Amino acid sequence: MSEIVNILLAVLYLLVFPGFLFLFFYGLFCEYFDRKLYARMQNRVGPPLFQPFADFVKLLAKEDIIPEKADKGMFSIVPLFAFAGVLTAILYIPIWRTDAVLSFEGDLVVVLFLLTIPSFALFFAGWHSTNLFSQIGAVRTVTQLFGYEIPFFFACLAPALIMGTWSISGILSQTVIRPEVLILLILAFIIAVISLQAKLERVPFDAPEAETEIAGGSLVEYTGRRLAIFRLMFNIKMVICAALITALFLGGPVLFPAVPGPEFIGYLLGFVVFLLKTLFVVFLLTMMRTVFARVRIDQLLKFCYGWLIPLSIVQFLLLILVRSMGWFA
Amino acid sequence: MDLVKWARIKSPWVLHLNTGGCNGCDIEVLAALMPRSDVERFGILLQGSPRHADLIVCQGPITKQMRDRVVRIYEQVPEPKFVMAIGSCACTAGVFQGCYNVLGGIDKAIPVDVYVPGCPPNPAAIVDGVMKLLTKLKES
Ligand code: SF4
Repeated sequence: MSEIVNILLAVLYLLVFPGFLFLFFYGLFCEYFDRKLYARMQNRVGPPLFQPFADFVKLLAKEDIIPEKADKGMFSIVPLFAFAGVLTAILYIPIWRTDAVLSFEGDLVVVLFLLTIPSFALFFAGWHSTNLFSQIGAVRTVTQLFGYEIPFFFACLAPALIMGTWSISGILSQTVIRPEVLILLILAFIIAVISLQAKLERVPFDAPEAETEIAGGSLVEYTGRRLAIFRLMFNIKMVICAALITALFLGGPVLFPAVPGPEFIGYLLGFVVFLLKTLFVVFLLTMMRTVFARVRIDQLLKFCYGWLIPLSIVQFLLLILVRSMGWFA
Repeated sequence: MDLVKWARIKSPWVLHLNTGGCNGCDIEVLAALMPRSDVERFGILLQGSPRHADLIVCQGPITKQMRDRVVRIYEQVPEPKFVMAIGSCACTAGVFQGCYNVLGGIDKAIPVDVYVPGCPPNPAAIVDGVMKLLTKLKES
């Protein structure tokens, strides 16, 4: 009996909350929020609330073309592969209380790995489309990967270093005990947000999909439902990365100070706090998209290796100093 | 109205294609896409790849050189697709009529759904042309 209940619960987690259904709607909402904010910052009205949903439905209903020269198997499997990768990552991120649906010592590394899959999927998608533009886009995707991934990993591992645990839920429960440590992590937070922008391939780091030069990069040949899945995957990736940053640097769904009362009210409030904090991270990303213009790929690499990585090493040294002196313990 | 039709009307993505005009109409199309007329409120987005587009916005007459390429780009756009002819050139070849290298308006090569005359047309007229197309779709 309890076996069946467990399986049903797992299915519920995967498909409804916090899995597919929640991420679907929240991902579309985040795209709306991003585009609307972008529009408001440019002093225009912007798209209506249902816009991302309309785009999604329209793409699903469009003709589906596979280029003759493309590798058909790879071409169709890659979007689903990336999609499954990002969906799995949410299970390890706390959404309504300090521990996530699943957690074990080291799940931080698993989540970082799962969030890398979309970049490789994009590479394979572009490479196997056998279009000149998409191949340039694919190569740029991987070149960019070497730039942003190292500072992003460094920044995300900094909380693990100071909290002394490699599990996201563990980091969060440590944060509840000593929230003042978060002040030490401001530098890592800034680095994480900047490299996240590059990870999501958004302006100013969107050289891999530069529409005006290489016509949309890796996804040039994608149409119909495969493009729809890719776009949805990008939205969900944005949500999950924002959720990860929220959990690591902003205290996740934890409300300071905690409210007394029955448990489910705490969960509900935690969920609301989680939504607000992720929207704040999305707000920062949108801000960056509005204010800056696209940089070249070599400028991005120079920036990552010249600024972000040294700064993250400074952050590491600071944390090691703090730990060895026993401050904030 | 069913969901798919609604979605189609709410999210026309455009591809901007010059088939041999003087660049005047291009600039007006770009002006129509700028924040001032804010076409994103109708769901219009500029796309770089024909594979992602629903609506091809053509400017300029069809030249002999461009004919095959325009047909090819038209075929690359997935169904359902629509074509707008922007400017007098795209409608009838305009001032280039009778040139040795010009075949005529866009409809000499591919079927056109909406014509927006003018040399060049006002950005507002271009946006109005898109709205006319969407209304036509809605009523069909
Ligand atoms: S209609 Fe006028 S402005 Fe437009 S391409 Fe032709 S000549 Fe140029």
